[in-house]
Amino acid sequence: MNDRISALMDGEVDGKSAAQTIEALARDAEAVRTWRTYHLIGDAMRGGMLLSERFTERVAQRLAAEPTVLAPRRMRTESPRLFTLSALAASVAAVAFVGWMAFAPQPQLAPAPMAQVQNAADKPVLVPLPSAANDYLLAHQGFSPRVSLQGMAPYVLTIAEHPAEARK
Amino acid sequence: MSLRAYAVALALVSGAAQAQAPETLSWLRKINDATQKLSYSGTFVYQNSSRSETSRITRYVDARGDIEKLEVMDGVPREIVREKDTVRCYLPGARLVKVDRRTERGFPALLPERISALARNYDITLGESRRIAGYDCRAVVLTPKDNLRYGYRLYADTASGMLLRAVTVDANGEQVEQFMFTQLAIGGVTRDMVRTRHASRNWRVEDAEAAPGRLPGWGLSSELPGFHKVVELKRRLSDSRPAAQVVYSDGLAAVSVFIESMEGRPEPVRTGLASMGAIHIYTREVANHVITVVGEAPAASVQRIANAVEYRRPQ
Repeated sequence: MNDRISALMDGEVDGKSAAQTIEALARDAEAVRTWRTYHLIGDAMRGGMLLSERFTERVAQRLAAEPTVLAPRRMRTESPRLFTLSALAASVAAVAFVGWMAFAPQPQLAPAPMAQVQNAADKPVLVPLPSAANDYLLAHQGFSPRVSLQGMAPYVLTIAEHPAEARK
Repeated sequence: MSLRAYAVALALVSGAAQAQAPETLSWLRKINDATQKLSYSGTFVYQNSSRSETSRITRYVDARGDIEKLEVMDGVPREIVREKDTVRCYLPGARLVKVDRRTERGFPALLPERISALARNYDITLGESRRIAGYDCRAVVLTPKDNLRYGYRLYADTASGMLLRAVTVDANGEQVEQFMFTQLAIGGVTRDMVRTRHASRNWRVEDAEAAPGRLPGWGLSSELPGFHKVVELKRRLSDSRPAAQVVYSDGLAAVSVFIESMEGRPEPVRTGLASMGAIHIYTREVANHVITVVGEAPAASVQRIANAVEYRRPQ
């Protein structure tokens, strides 16, 4: 079960087995605890903010305590004219805002123009890692000054288990 | 003092005076020294947006030098052992040893004067105190002065300077990748602990045969601000393909440019951008050569260096 929960969190399962695991989670309190613990571990490793103890329970209690509102929904009676006017006002405001943005001094960013927002023509094509990625990384890492602060640790990327390596 | 030496000294002093208190720089020196001098063994987790992997690292130092071993614990066992200037990468699945040797110089150590020079590209400050794997750590925060490079948060043991956690962040402050020790013992390492556990006598050996050298005619039309050429090599990549490698660095991040001829290439080239944590790899074709740029820098920086690569027929 723990493996299935872990796989579900990592998005490594297809729709059917995901549905099965989620169903199992709905029935099994122990599994829900595991699910929470895994997320807590993940949050801690990502350096995320941790929620206070019993957060979920307290939210559930507060929700249960909320009164249910049984009021009839109000009919929409605004005149179309008023709507057009407000839309016009909004677009004037939008133009004004865009204009202000265009004339506002740019915040002090990189001295290099290319480092700023890339335009569509510069958007690179995303490709999978080259089959020789390990060779390039092994050749590269030795010259990275990071090695003198971190030792060999960055080399984990060099010996990553690429599919290409397994095929050889 | 020559005028040039005076200018350099002035630049260093003014760079250091901007924001870097001597205390902050001495923290970086302390981390650097600990990495060079300590023997240790520990377990660390590497994590980026798409994967997390546990590895063991063991480092042994004696009068003859240092040996360091890295083993990946997840999936197929893989190992890297570095002894002085030689890195051996053991891949048992392929029964293969890849060897990378430095002929020209040792591994780059961040010498004290280079640490002060980092202040040209990064604001260096002291951050929070935090306990990691049982050690009381202090964070050293390197914030880039532009968006051509990543920022770093380095958590070091206050007693020894040993780096326990290193987080790479992008311009929005989002975490790109991190290394974090979950267990660490300083000292108590024997030479046996850093030997490979693979009997690799009959394995295939791929030697990179890297040596200083350059390919005539190739260069960058413009360098990336803050990045300077560190070394130029001729070497071999897998299957003995000859290649040229030029490394650029800003003192902390490095970007390598690889140049290979297209002739006799078994597979077609896929041009574009690939990424893995903080590392970006950008591939393009120039003058019947494949240009592969690899570096721990934002995609735009790697792509910009790749796009500046040009060939001019030597006169």
